[in-house]
Amino acid sequence: MELLGTITELAQAFGPSGCEDAAGELAKSMLEEYCSEVYISNNNVIGRFGERREGLPDLVLDAHIDQIGMIVTGISEEGFVKVDSLGGIDRRLLPTQQVVIFGKRQIPGVFSTLPPHLAQGGNKVMTFAEAAIDTGLSKEELEELVSPGDCVKFDVELKRLLGERVTCGALDDRCGVACILYALELLKGEDLGYNVTVIFSSQEEVGERGAKVGAFELAPDIAIAVDVSFAMNTGEDPKKCGELGKGPMIGVSPSLSRRISQELIACAKNAQIPFQYEVMNGMTGTNADRYSVEKGGAETCTVSIPLRNMHTPAEVIDLRDVRLSAQLLAEFIKEGRK
Amino acid sequence: MKSLLKELCLINGVSGDEQLVRSAIMEKVKDHCDEMRTDPLGSLICFKKGKSSGKKLMVCAHMDEVGFIITHINSDGTLSFDQVGGIDPSVVIGRQVKVGNAGIQGVVGSQAVHDLSKEEREAPPKFSGMTIDIGASSKEEAEKYVSPGDCAYFSSDFLEMGSKIKSKAIDDRAGCAMMISLMQEDLPFDTYFVFNVQEEIGLRGSGASAYSVAPDFALVLEATTAADIDGVSGGKKVCCLGSGPVVSFMDRRTIYDRELYRLAFDTAMEIGVPCQTKSAVAGGNDAGAIHISGKGVRTLAVSVPCRYLHSPACVIESADLESTYALVRELAGRIPKL
Repeated sequence: MELLGTITELAQAFGPSGCEDAAGELAKSMLEEYCSEVYISNNNVIGRFGERREGLPDLVLDAHIDQIGMIVTGISEEGFVKVDSLGGIDRRLLPTQQVVIFGKRQIPGVFSTLPPHLAQGGNKVMTFAEAAIDTGLSKEELEELVSPGDCVKFDVELKRLLGERVTCGALDDRCGVACILYALELLKGEDLGYNVTVIFSSQEEVGERGAKVGAFELAPDIAIAVDVSFAMNTGEDPKKCGELGKGPMIGVSPSLSRRISQELIACAKNAQIPFQYEVMNGMTGTNADRYSVEKGGAETCTVSIPLRNMHTPAEVIDLRDVRLSAQLLAEFIKEGRK
Repeated sequence: MKSLLKELCLINGVSGDEQLVRSAIMEKVKDHCDEMRTDPLGSLICFKKGKSSGKKLMVCAHMDEVGFIITHINSDGTLSFDQVGGIDPSVVIGRQVKVGNAGIQGVVGSQAVHDLSKEEREAPPKFSGMTIDIGASSKEEAEKYVSPGDCAYFSSDFLEMGSKIKSKAIDDRAGCAMMISLMQEDLPFDTYFVFNVQEEIGLRGSGASAYSVAPDFALVLEATTAADIDGVSGGKKVCCLGSGPVVSFMDRRTIYDRELYRLAFDTAMEIGVPCQTKSAVAGGNDAGAIHISGKGVRTLAVSVPCRYLHSPACVIESADLESTYALVRELAGRIPKL
């Protein structure tokens, strides 16, 4: 598979939390390349990889398919579209941000902003109650096309930066989806140490709700959440960040399985895959938190791809990290439980 | 006019770096004027003979747009920058940009929202906390592509939204487009056409070019702030999209010539186009430098109303561009007779 093309398609697909349909269908078609049986349940895209073998532990690879976005709450008297957030949006960057509304058709728009003479000193970040999308259409035209409950995403194209870095919105966590697909590519025809199930889960950004029901349905022995984490950037604390291009960030945390963390680290060392530690002190804020305690519990870990400018249309990743993370997952799965 | 506007808006030309805009304009007008020269600051001064000679009229617009200048290349390969012209940092954070004449792809990042305190989330962003990320992982790598002093530009497409248009740089490529169109017509009177530089950093180019031309009358073509957006009522809107050309009696830099002001409204009524004034004394344009140049110049500004000026997403109404042009064309035939 061609990684850049796959990530581009995935990152540009539409799928805010709760409206994952388009991105989910795309991911399903991609997953069908590797899995004979792929289905969608509660907007979770689920596929079984390889043959089931008795006695092997069940392992789930999870990446979330949803992205942060917005949901239409109404149309104002002046003909602007009012919205609220789906997930943690940085409201500081809303003014004049370009969006697309998925109504009866796709409608482009921009968030309006007050000009300086009305900004009252400009010392306030707009709330969603104040935010309004300018579509260029009249109230009457909008009422034909847009309804409360329709979803909205930032409208941004993936662009290449220098080297292997790329920028787009929704790389959180479409690069995780691509990473899992790439790991399956590496595992084609290989002897597996686990019975592997892949889930591209819904509604992570509003509180890991897709993974909650997915974990109940799949009840694995082991689950690895493949998500993104903070990459060092201007203004960030180096103690809390990974670095772009330095490989997967392996989670170590009281809420994760120390054994799996150590196995992943050993795998990376054996295969000479560069990696970084991501040490947390409790919950991880990823889907791993759900698998750990669903039903009777599972051993979980996180493998994170470092990413800059999280939850903005300007997210940045390094494709090398996606490839290295996939290699790590493939090595871990081939290795199996000793 | 729309396709001409699109072509001009997509050219990059921050104040002090207007040469690409100027070359494109020269190519379009060279066969439609009798004299053409570039002054020492870079403004393009053209003279076109009409059917007869009246008083000396200068029609002008500015070529430059707001943008950024690279001030420093940081050790991590990111670029520090400053604004050129007045820009709200909120419309810069999280945006794609192009750097330098080679158009290196970049993106403006900042600290992830997750890592901000509650107070920081509600505080408008500042340029000091932002860098441009071109994907370089070191200062040395970045230096191969970028030098301090290079300009950077909003990277934003030209998009039709219903009957409206969204683009960067409509301020003031709309004025340039109208001038080019006018130059391509047969004119009743001799007219000077001046495409100015450096408006956005304090009306620098227009003072010098107005001195050189020394006209009796100046007609400044602009785009001006419309605040007819959600939640803004009455006079605070300043002017409205769809209500035709904006002719102001006074702004922060100029008290306009009373006779020309009345002539504009009388002419609009006669030729059947809508015309509006600003309901607030706000903003300023090249008229500020022109009307006090030399022994003084009787000056009028005619503007296209524009939402979200100085952002990657300026929004205008197509019909306003047409009606503004109709009024300007008519005024160019009347002012020299005064």
